Amino acid sequence: MLLVLSEEHKEHLGFLSEVDAPVVGEFGRIAVEFLKKGSNPKIFEGAARKLNVSSESVQHGVEGLMYLLTESSKLMISEVDFQDSVLVLGFSEELNELLLQLYLENRKEIRQILSKLAPSLPHYHNLEWRLDVQLASRALRQQVKPTVTLKLHLEDGAKRRAHVLQTDPATLQHLIHELERALAELKSNHCRRILRNIK
Amino acid sequence: MRFRFCGDLDCPDWVLAEMSTLARISSVKMKLLCVQVIKDLLDEGIDYDKVAKLTSDAKFESGDIKAGIAVLSFILSSAAKHDVDSESLSSELQQLGLPKEHTTSLCKSYEDKHIALQEKQRESSLRLGGLEAVNWRVDYTLSSSELKQVNEPTVQLRLQAQDPETDSTQTTTVSITADKFRVLLTELRQAQTMMNALQ
Repeated sequence: MLLVLSEEHKEHLGFLSEVDAPVVGEFGRIAVEFLKKGSNPKIFEGAARKLNVSSESVQHGVEGLMYLLTESSKLMISEVDFQDSVLVLGFSEELNELLLQLYLENRKEIRQILSKLAPSLPHYHNLEWRLDVQLASRALRQQVKPTVTLKLHLEDGAKRRAHVLQTDPATLQHLIHELERALAELKSNHCRRILRNIK
Repeated sequence: MRFRFCGDLDCPDWVLAEMSTLARISSVKMKLLCVQVIKDLLDEGIDYDKVAKLTSDAKFESGDIKAGIAVLSFILSSAAKHDVDSESLSSELQQLGLPKEHTTSLCKSYEDKHIALQEKQRESSLRLGGLEAVNWRVDYTLSSSELKQVNEPTVQLRLQAQDPETDSTQTTTVSITADKFRVLLTELRQAQTMMNALQ
């Protein structure tokens, strides 16, 4: 699958052919750093001064590299496809080789970062529980009523919410039984066949 | 294999796996490490520099240090949770493969502090909506827009309680007439007699 680069993108990356190979390597390293930790515009200024070009072209070059890497990692394109896509830019052999190496080394990590960007539902954070026995109430004395009180902590991105639930032991047993059945479903033939095909 | 300190269940695999890691440090250092872990469990803060110094002889990497602290936390908190005496703990740990001197030093630390650990665990048990403060005031109404001579005492009660789901303080204010307040007081006194009978 070939990557189709827009004209603007090609123009931004065209800047890279005007600088030396070690500089491109440095830009590649900066691009990967930015993908991991967020961008830092001050670096553009410093680099622009050293290379005697406008900081805008440096910024476009680095951002163009970042976009190239994220798109290739997202689509998980093969080496050959990556090389063909980059050929369009008309870079030297050495530069193509450099970009390919950059892509292959960082592909896995970039994919991990991208996987965290998908929308997610609130997920389990912590569960506290307590077993009580109700002995009496205003209306009725001499009771024995066991209850289980649960505090389910859920995390959704940065937010944490706690849900307080209460159940009697019979319902809790039923709940556990249903959840165990859900886990056991993983071992059924149907699920095994699907998992085998995905792997 | 059922272990009392795991609550009559099987010992988790990771605890078994880390026994060999723990055996690498000397039993004297083990005792000091236990002291640090107990301080952490009692929320007194753990001194990671001290821990690093203690484990540096056995050349623990950061992963080993984390595993060691995790295993000791689990063993000590679990043993306090299930109220295991130190001889049973000692024999069970030796069954798991921890050398005798290490087991002895661990059990000695446990014995010194297990009451404090249980107190801390009792305090941190699930508690919903605890009452934080009670303020009251008795007023005497002389007259109102409805009736010229009212002459009635009322109690203003302000309760500050913790909201079970958000853990923030919620204030509730009620004003109660004399008769209703008498009923409230009688019912609460009955509940108090019942609570005292249970203690």
